[in-house]
Amino acid sequence: MYLVDTAMSADEDKNIFVSDQEILSLISAWKSQVGRDPTDDELARIINNLIDEEILYREALVLGLDQEDTIIKRRLAQKISFLKEESIPEIPTPKELNEYYENNKEKYYIESSYTFTHYYFSENDNSLDRSLQALKSIQENNKVNSDPFYLGKTFANEPLRNINTNFGTSFSKELMKANVNQWNGPLQSTYGHHLVYINSVNPGYIPEIEEVLRQVEVDFLQMKRDQAVKEFLNSIRSKYTIYINPDLKF
Amino acid sequence: MKSIFIKLLIAIPLIYLALFIGLWSSVSDTRPIISLLDMMRSDSATKIIDFSSDEEKSSKPKPKPNKDKNPYYGDLHVHTKHSFDAYIFGVTATPNDAYRYAKGEGIMHPMGYEMKLKEPLDFYSVTDHGFFMGMMNAWADTSTDISQNDFALPFHNLNKEENLTVESAGPRSALFSTILAGTIATTHGNFHPNTLKAWLTKNTQKALKSFDYDIHKSAWEDVARSANEHNDPGHFTTFIGYEFTTSTNVEGGNLHRNVIFNSSKAPIRPWTRIDSINPEDLWTWQDKLRDKGVDTVAIPHNPNGSNGQMFEMETFYSDPINKEYAEKRMRNEPIVEVTQVKGTSETHPLLSPDDEWADFEIMDVRVGSRPPTYSKPSGSYVREAYLNGLTLEFTKQGNPYKFGLIGSSDTHTGAGAFDESNYWSKVGILDGDPENRGSTPLAQENIERLDNYMRAFNQPRSTVTLDQGEYANTGFTQWGASGLAAVWAEENTRDSIFKAFKRKETFATTGTRIAVRFFGGYNLSSIDLNSEMLVSQAYQKGVTMGSDLVGDGDKTPEFIVWAQRDKNGAPLQRVQIIKGWIDASGRTHEKVYDVVCSDGLQVDPVTNRCPDNGAKVNINDCSITQNIGSSELKANWVDPDFDKENKSFYYARVLENPSCRWSTWDAISRGFKPREDLHDTIQERAWSSPIWYIPPASDVDVVPLGGTVRLINLST
Repeated sequence: MYLVDTAMSADEDKNIFVSDQEILSLISAWKSQVGRDPTDDELARIINNLIDEEILYREALVLGLDQEDTIIKRRLAQKISFLKEESIPEIPTPKELNEYYENNKEKYYIESSYTFTHYYFSENDNSLDRSLQALKSIQENNKVNSDPFYLGKTFANEPLRNINTNFGTSFSKELMKANVNQWNGPLQSTYGHHLVYINSVNPGYIPEIEEVLRQVEVDFLQMKRDQAVKEFLNSIRSKYTIYINPDLKF
Repeated sequence: MKSIFIKLLIAIPLIYLALFIGLWSSVSDTRPIISLLDMMRSDSATKIIDFSSDEEKSSKPKPKPNKDKNPYYGDLHVHTKHSFDAYIFGVTATPNDAYRYAKGEGIMHPMGYEMKLKEPLDFYSVTDHGFFMGMMNAWADTSTDISQNDFALPFHNLNKEENLTVESAGPRSALFSTILAGTIATTHGNFHPNTLKAWLTKNTQKALKSFDYDIHKSAWEDVARSANEHNDPGHFTTFIGYEFTTSTNVEGGNLHRNVIFNSSKAPIRPWTRIDSINPEDLWTWQDKLRDKGVDTVAIPHNPNGSNGQMFEMETFYSDPINKEYAEKRMRNEPIVEVTQVKGTSETHPLLSPDDEWADFEIMDVRVGSRPPTYSKPSGSYVREAYLNGLTLEFTKQGNPYKFGLIGSSDTHTGAGAFDESNYWSKVGILDGDPENRGSTPLAQENIERLDNYMRAFNQPRSTVTLDQGEYANTGFTQWGASGLAAVWAEENTRDSIFKAFKRKETFATTGTRIAVRFFGGYNLSSIDLNSEMLVSQAYQKGVTMGSDLVGDGDKTPEFIVWAQRDKNGAPLQRVQIIKGWIDASGRTHEKVYDVVCSDGLQVDPVTNRCPDNGAKVNINDCSITQNIGSSELKANWVDPDFDKENKSFYYARVLENPSCRWSTWDAISRGFKPREDLHDTIQERAWSSPIWYIPPASDVDVVPLGGTVRLINLST
């Protein structure tokens, strides 16, 4: 810990002393819930949050938001965040939206979706053997004796995310490798084995902005609100000196 | 011209005086605020605002609707920083954060760790407390006039020295109860202009010193806007919602309800307990909104903490229930939240002594009571309410308890804790770590802190000495990692899911993603359980959960139940059907039937029970027996005790193999043994909404009179 200079300059309120005690108490609360020590990244995040809050608090004091010094630090920090958020203009220009979209295209990636039908064989009843048998029956144009699948037989435009949820990730990985317009399998899900016939695949793609304009607008405004606080913090952070014990053990 | 002017000059003060006299005669005594509100009809909350359009935000491909319906899982009970108590719990999550969490992103707990779902949810509704919504900011902020009131002082100092420490748990809890008790709801006084304004605008809230309408409206606007911004038809559904947080006046019986809206339209402000503490007035308001094209459902929660007052045999003001009351209640409250963090309200061991699974996540105190006060079981659990509904109908009073079931979390951190192995309970820093929620022993300084706090706030001792040391005993041990709302709907849209609420095609789970289908009819045994057409034929030939099955001559109803496990949970152990009925003498009965067992085991026809499948839990590491239990269970079932004259209900209960309870996970992962006075394990479960059997019209009508039952033969 650096020594605190008792005769501080006029800039005294730009020094932030983070005590070992404060950090240790945060770490202890964290450990107690999560059951392990925080990683370096997690620790950095915890401490940064503490510092951000302190800065916002001090800045709120500078603005005189505290009056009788009875406002809680946390609410002050929130209040100034809120003030910064509120200064955002409500209607973004097309140029702003386009720029935002160009920089965040991957966020709008539309994942692939599948239209398929399947035969299901329950793991309660020899699913692998029966599905292999059934594959043979299909090739020989014989009738297939399968089980009804809980979530149904045919799926149209089913996004990969739903297939993950409904069948398990190992199934969807296999599905991505399967061929269109033919029987594939057996593919294993959480519930047994499946023979899958894919009718069509809508490959994943990055859409034109027009397709997702409303969503871009919503995200842009949210980003602006978050950014207003962040920019403010960044602009002001350089004015502060943070004192923190680099050798703290826990 | 001049005389008119003078007349006006005289008239204005006269009118003002007349208004005051009118007001005076309404509220002239010094009764507490609750009584004032009785006199002042507060009904300004019917102005409808469209908070945005329901237009779709993208043109990405939507999964095709499924006429056989899909199961969708969600949470309809979520609080964020706009709730009056969130500030007390140290919560700063916004509605936007809550929806991000539901979609699978990680958000921060007030204690600094990340909360994240294993898999995203399908629907979510942020339901902050309606009363004092957003008001805490104003009280804590000394630059506002409102914060200069006495009631606001404790909020100024609450976090003065340290922000998010467990040390402040004491005063925080005390504040929570203070607000619930309504002691801060002081009025301006009868002749204050604000009271007049409240009276004239029919907005009772304006008569309160603690109320700022502008802040209130902007918090509500944020709730509605966030819901609309995150709604993504076909992929993720949100609902505008809030909690109507009311209780009975003297006993503090919990009467809380969540109100869920069906579109992007909602009233200018939520109807709250400041408008009225009587839920019947809430229904009147809902009826008015429905006339204006805004449909809602109100969902009662925590009947277990209502001291028997959620499902009473009489109205709020102790009048007899009648058909009009029953219809109005069912029109507005088609579903009930049967499980959540604060316990499960299916049934209680004292009410269902023959149900071996009745002792499940019981919370036996009234919601928010200080000191924690016993809540009497009768009137507080849904199975008994179903039976009482039959009784009321028997006495020609209508059935106000014909509701479906959902679960939800009631989290106050924006993020529901559904996973036993990764649990953070619900009230932020008060129960955000194992010591404070009582699953691991307290450190010495925390014992002293708790003792000091209990003395300071005149509360009973809240620690308990057990084998491994001194534990917190503040009630959080009775809470748990529950639950989810589930629906059968054609597609994941507001319209489709809301309609499922209305027709009660819903089921509840304790946080697990079990799915259960349930059908009743007269020709269901003709359906091949191994056919691909099983579901579509069952819909065609029968009725599903939430519906009536009307008697058909002498035919005996047949049922189909089909359950699927959660792929991330334990395998299924058994499926049960729970039957309740009323006999010719007006006596009610209930019975639990196992209808299908795991691993091909057969139900014993005498005991109606499955044999033990042998699945075990290792308490030292929470591992469970492998390869025992089923991934799906399916059965056709005929009621062996059927009597066509008896009005009955049937609902399905699906049980997983046992697994570790959160308190066991908490203890073993910190190197302790589980606490000996708590259940080590639980059986996660799901409940379907019931199917009601309505006997065929009879030529004998039972007309109970004066407490006796007289039979009138209509044919003579």
